[in-house]
Amino acid sequence: MPEITNVVNTLEERKPYIALKQKVKGETFLACDNTSIAGAMSQRACVYSGARVALNPVTDAVHLVHGPIGCASYTWDIRGSKSSGKETYRTSFSTDMKEIDVVFGGEKKLAKAIDELVELYKPPVVFVYSTCIVGIIGDDLEAVCKDASERNGIPVIPVKSEGFKGTKSDGYKAACEALKVLIGTKEGDIKSPYRINLIGEFNVAGDVWLVKPLFEEMGIQVVTSLTGDSTTESISQCHIAQLNLVQCTGSMTTLAKWMKEEYGIPFKKISYFGIEDLSIALRETAAFFDSEEMKQKAEEIIARETAKIMPEIQRIRSRLEGKRAAIYMGGAAKALTLIKGFRELGMEVVIIGTQTGKRDDYLQISYEVKDGTVIVDDANPLELAELLVKQNADLMVAGVKERFLAYKVGVAFCDFNHDRVVEFEGFEGFLNFAREMDSSINSPVWKATKSNISDSINANNISSKACKSENIPVTRIDNIHEDAAITRGMEA
Amino acid sequence: MTERNYTTVNPCVMCQPMGSVMAFKGIENSMVLMHGSQGCSTYMRLHLAHHFREPVDIASTSLSERGAVYGGSENLKKGLKNVMSRYHPKVIGVTTTCLAETIGDDVGRILQEFREEEKDAEDVHIISVSTPSYEESHATGYLRAVEAIVRYFTESGVSKDIFNNKLNVVLGENIAPEDIREIKRILSSNVGPRSFIFTPDTSETFDAPMTGKAEKIFPGGTPLAEIADMKNCAASIGLGITSDNKAIDYLEGKYNVPAKRVPMPIGLEYSDRFLATLSEITGTEVPEMYKKERGRLIDAMVDVHKYLYGTRVAIYGDPEMVLGLLSLSLENGMYPVLVSPSCKTPAFKEHAQERIDRMNLDCDVKMLEGLDFDAFNDAVKEANPEMLIGNSNGKYISQQMRIPLMRVGFPIHDRVGAQRILMMGYRGTMSMIDRITNTILEAKDIELEEKWLQKKENNIPGSCCDCTPAHAHLH
Repeated sequence: MPEITNVVNTLEERKPYIALKQKVKGETFLACDNTSIAGAMSQRACVYSGARVALNPVTDAVHLVHGPIGCASYTWDIRGSKSSGKETYRTSFSTDMKEIDVVFGGEKKLAKAIDELVELYKPPVVFVYSTCIVGIIGDDLEAVCKDASERNGIPVIPVKSEGFKGTKSDGYKAACEALKVLIGTKEGDIKSPYRINLIGEFNVAGDVWLVKPLFEEMGIQVVTSLTGDSTTESISQCHIAQLNLVQCTGSMTTLAKWMKEEYGIPFKKISYFGIEDLSIALRETAAFFDSEEMKQKAEEIIARETAKIMPEIQRIRSRLEGKRAAIYMGGAAKALTLIKGFRELGMEVVIIGTQTGKRDDYLQISYEVKDGTVIVDDANPLELAELLVKQNADLMVAGVKERFLAYKVGVAFCDFNHDRVVEFEGFEGFLNFAREMDSSINSPVWKATKSNISDSINANNISSKACKSENIPVTRIDNIHEDAAITRGMEA
Repeated sequence: MTERNYTTVNPCVMCQPMGSVMAFKGIENSMVLMHGSQGCSTYMRLHLAHHFREPVDIASTSLSERGAVYGGSENLKKGLKNVMSRYHPKVIGVTTTCLAETIGDDVGRILQEFREEEKDAEDVHIISVSTPSYEESHATGYLRAVEAIVRYFTESGVSKDIFNNKLNVVLGENIAPEDIREIKRILSSNVGPRSFIFTPDTSETFDAPMTGKAEKIFPGGTPLAEIADMKNCAASIGLGITSDNKAIDYLEGKYNVPAKRVPMPIGLEYSDRFLATLSEITGTEVPEMYKKERGRLIDAMVDVHKYLYGTRVAIYGDPEMVLGLLSLSLENGMYPVLVSPSCKTPAFKEHAQERIDRMNLDCDVKMLEGLDFDAFNDAVKEANPEMLIGNSNGKYISQQMRIPLMRVGFPIHDRVGAQRILMMGYRGTMSMIDRITNTILEAKDIELEEKWLQKKENNIPGSCCDCTPAHAHLH
């Protein structure tokens, strides 16, 4: 049973989703993995959004949204993933369904839309996302896509992401289903005896480009990264890998499991964030291939790269020691690796939550955090705001919606989602992260947020000594009210 | 690019519920409950938070498969209850989505039931607006919600029928908080600080001062008692003329509040029209302070006329703003070679044409309504403007074609200060003219600098007389 606490003021129904880690109570079980409560102001999005964020980074695909215009409008180029090649994925395609399509069905329009886009953009693949309305009016997406596929001679793949049919996690599954159709459709181009895929890596801000070279230096061929900076070609042949490294486990474990069954490719859950986790990822990969040379190379890389960033990390660490962090992430994998990352910077975690964590994730989180940490599933703004204050957090790591909430209560913020523009993965990435922690937490702006006008006189510092109140002859400006009245009169 | 008939590529519009949210956010102590799946509210919160850089809470009835099959009544009622108990709003705007509309929920009936079942609901004004996402756009969503709000409160009987001698000012399109503050300043000194009712007022709610506290609902917005009192006003002014402002039409039709319809006060002429209308309604002279502001604006116009004359500009965004900026560009001698409002409205073309016809323009003006950005892209190529004015979604075109973009309107996701962009009244117009001119000057600087560098690299003999950097040429 979850430890029902009054950690925070919230709806009765929400209480099982929030727990305080306490030493004596043993394991913390949290209610999770349910649909959001109506009116509870969840920070989650829908099934479509899950599918969209997981699949959208496929760079050369046409991502066609079958639905009314809004769904495409709000997701146009919001992912923040970078491409080293084509940029088709940054264009927003929609069938812009109108009332007439809702009444008479949108299949014909969709078929023509696909043909039109194939002709104009000549993509190697088209992903067709279904939205709420498609699920209600019952357009047969599968049939339309199958026909279009045959007509156009390219894969046209339906993504079953009707917004209301489940949670964001179901959207991840829909994206994985779509990827399955592509995988194994091309013969692979084998360039090395050692081959891996980076699964659940979205190349936000160019993360992949700080990670891939490390593996390549170890003599490994990185067949594809899924889905950040991936191409239809690289996905089609990613079955030639001998190992899948899964980072964002929440979104892509399904796919890794399927590849294990289908192609016998084992997978490992890893992270490229933080010196500790990144080193583990490199070592475990080398251990998997059981090559002494590779193991040695891995150690060499770790020693060399760590030495490069360590002096600066240590300097920053001294400025961050003991600061308190709050984590609210989409998936649990990132939340877990962040705990370690903060530890490496001498910081502690006081709040940790996710939108889509599962029971096992929360169990593991509860092992990793110290007593007194609040763990929360599917949190809402009022809970988060109260927790930030109560837990005395110095900084929050989350996405855009949480940013301004944290700011309003005077807490520093770091975006670890779509909006960030610097890499956080790899060795250099971790240094970027440390720098951002420093600039976020130690900015003088947090003094300004707590200040008052009268502070400038009362403050007992050197600069204000000269104008300390006793030095100023007490004057009263008697006509001030009169002046104000005149000004008002003039304006009126 | 070939003609497209079945797809929209890079949309210029958002869906109706978005407009509805913007209207409700300008009402005192209100929350929006979006009747649909969880994603809609989250996406709109993201979009708005990105632009205004404020936390934006929009509740959702989080419809799931069960709700879609058996109807959303249960979720809607639960959503209302939870919003009431957590946020304690005075108003809840229930706005529908494509999902709620398609499953055929009778929102009116469900709300009726809810009011009967819940005693606590008596103190809360629940206003429903039908905003299916597959119809029209965010622009109409805004107008629909404003109308629903005004109808609800004037009919509610909160206010007695006592003439209040005030002026209604009702927006026909969402504008920046800074512009609202400016218009309210103008109204305060031209009509009197307590003699007007401005609806909807997002000047505080979308741009809240830092207090160190997370407010459940940000203070500000048009007070409810004032909205109820709108029927007792002496007159109404509708800001915006491209679409019907149904709220003031309604007040005129039902309560005989005479209505004036003026364009958004952008540019000299439209600002004049706004102030002249106020002066006509109040029967008083325009205050000296505003005459001075006007004088300063004209002074500024004279200062920049050589830079602006003949500058080819493409203007896009929401229709009322585009009309205002078109007028501004015309009166400064610019060539608005491409004018592209985000959506089709009943009267944009007519008003724009009338404004253009009064000029002795030496260029063609292409007017294209309701394009997507891909089609706009092609139109830009053809019209060959030297400058773009519009929201940040034009950045791709700007980057690709290397045409400077001056960001105004909604959404602006890649620059700060969107909520503080001032373009209305004499002061706002002045700030626009300064920005436009500086954008042109900067572009010219860069262009000349590049030419100069290139010449230097190529070491062309005799180039030294041309190689003085940009600035020297522009006095």
